[in-house]
Amino acid sequence: MEYPLTRLDEKILSLKNASKKALVAYLVAGDPDLDSTLELMHGFVDAGVDILEVGVPFTDPIAEGPIIQAAHDRALKNNTSLTKIFKLVKKFREKNVDTPVILMGYINTFLANIKALEESYVSGSDAVLIVDIPGESDLKNIGIKNTNLASISLIAPTTSKDRISKICDNSSGFIYYVTLRGVTGSSNLNISEAESNINFIRSQTSLPVFAGFGIKTPDDASSLSKLSDGVVIGSSLVEMINNHSRKKEFKKIYNYLNEISKAISL
Amino acid sequence: MNNLSNLPNSDGFFGEYGGKFVPETLMHALKELDETYSKLKNNPKFIEEIDQDLVQFVGRPSPLYFAKRLTNHYSGPQIWLKREDLNHTGAHKINNTVGQILLAKAMGKKRIIAETGAGQHGVATATVAARLGLECHIYMGAKDVERQSLNVYRIKLLGAEVHAVDSGTATLKDALNEAMRDWVTNIEDTYYIIGSVTGPHPYPMIVRDFNAIVGRELRKQSIEQFSQYPDAIIACVGGGSNAMGIFYPFLEESNVELIGVEAAGSGLMSGKHAAPLNDGEPGILHGAKSYLMQDENGQVIDTHSVSAGLDYPGVGPEHSNLKDSGRANYIAVDDKEVIDSFHLITKLEGIMPALETAHAFAALDHIAKNYTSNQHIVINVSGRGDKDINTVATMDGISLD
Repeated sequence: MEYPLTRLDEKILSLKNASKKALVAYLVAGDPDLDSTLELMHGFVDAGVDILEVGVPFTDPIAEGPIIQAAHDRALKNNTSLTKIFKLVKKFREKNVDTPVILMGYINTFLANIKALEESYVSGSDAVLIVDIPGESDLKNIGIKNTNLASISLIAPTTSKDRISKICDNSSGFIYYVTLRGVTGSSNLNISEAESNINFIRSQTSLPVFAGFGIKTPDDASSLSKLSDGVVIGSSLVEMINNHSRKKEFKKIYNYLNEISKAISL
Repeated sequence: MNNLSNLPNSDGFFGEYGGKFVPETLMHALKELDETYSKLKNNPKFIEEIDQDLVQFVGRPSPLYFAKRLTNHYSGPQIWLKREDLNHTGAHKINNTVGQILLAKAMGKKRIIAETGAGQHGVATATVAARLGLECHIYMGAKDVERQSLNVYRIKLLGAEVHAVDSGTATLKDALNEAMRDWVTNIEDTYYIIGSVTGPHPYPMIVRDFNAIVGRELRKQSIEQFSQYPDAIIACVGGGSNAMGIFYPFLEESNVELIGVEAAGSGLMSGKHAAPLNDGEPGILHGAKSYLMQDENGQVIDTHSVSAGLDYPGVGPEHSNLKDSGRANYIAVDDKEVIDSFHLITKLEGIMPALETAHAFAALDHIAKNYTSNQHIVINVSGRGDKDINTVATMDGISLD
């Protein structure tokens, strides 16, 4: 029996067919406000972003560095909730039907909104990336049932080889390789370690492997894209959004994404 | 009610609570810790080393003391005090750090980190790190740095570095967040000494086991001094390490009533409190599923307590399971009752309890009447109150400057 391809599968297939590296961009929903987030999502896509990763704010984001922590705090001050984020994605879908949207956040906020989460696929979300669950866990076993959402798992430099194969078996969409030991936005990128780990992951799965955490410059993006199937940009975007949020002048951010997009297609 | 003492299971669950809900980078370190602990905990040499430290460095066993004037005051049950306040560094926290530092040593870690609320765990960690000459970093909420300034200075004197945490609510939970971020970053050479029965597996088990010396001593002392096990044991509960330590060896003694006392802050009805077992819902924070103070969107809500050590929105997962199973009961007392109790105990017994511990004493006002004069209640005096003098003075409207 053949299953229909999901939006995420189709995007990944089309990138593969075109031999293109994926550009994944992260932003925090509700920072500085939900209208801006919607504008930025469309702007990101126009600037060359292939997949959007929408951060769901949480009071205690233990995997985030100071830049993304502060963005979570700002979004929470605006009363950004998961239910409002589902509405945001639905609105985004009015003008965009082919860019996958991944919700990235922490387990407690997802569990508090189980019912809405189970319906979120209908409103246009494609996957969840839950930072604080073990990569081999099945969403069903932690209380998230009846969902068509793909589950993206993280693999870290410290993940043992036997767990890498378990995590790969349990993943769909793509594998997110964490390029450093540390929180988001750190600067201790280790390219040679990333290379050998990504190669090992590739030996365990046919899913594409994207690299993220600590990628700031077009040069970083370029060197990591050579080892992987795509890169994730997070903290540097969140920082730029904050710097430009008062005037809501986001053009510089789009130019930056454009440069990254060019750097990874060289 | 059988087999509560065989928990957690191999995945770290106490019933439905506990687990390992952490970023992937930490998974390997938790497994390594679990394996090291499993290997060492029954090793006679390891046990002997800890026992020797507990006797010669900590000053154990701590006495079981009959509180005569307090007993007369309530004219109900006989009230006994398990004197953890007499331990080196002034609280039960040292029982855990003495054990965990040996795990760190066995794993070859050179750098120690810890979170602290009231500062007692920070002091206890800095103390054992100093003794082994290890680099030590203590994370503490900025609000707590202010209200526990005496302990902050003690930690510095012991050679550790104190990092004030400004994020979030600037209290214990934020200190834990920051310690976890440090650990994710420095995972290779760093050992994280968690100070309560919280966090991801295997911490709730390890911290409980190292504190269980308190309950094991009490089993022996109660038989020696009043020829039976206590009718009830009362302990304060923030994360819940002193309570778990004294409860655990009695879990299978169904005649021994176990009573945990949470911080009701400005009152349970006010919403300004730190009593997740009384007024929270199951959720996931800091690596474990447990009762949690949270809003309808799963965001952790601000807590309030006069005591920095109880000012925490979560609680150890084993307590959540004990609550649901009915094996332990959890009540809450408010800030005013706590301050009144602090004064009462100080004047009646000449023992100045920590404000955390004063919660356990304040519970007597609610429950002493349920017991008769031939029954025995034990209160775990988890720590001494010197660190809280400034807070008490402020509450009483007295300036010490």
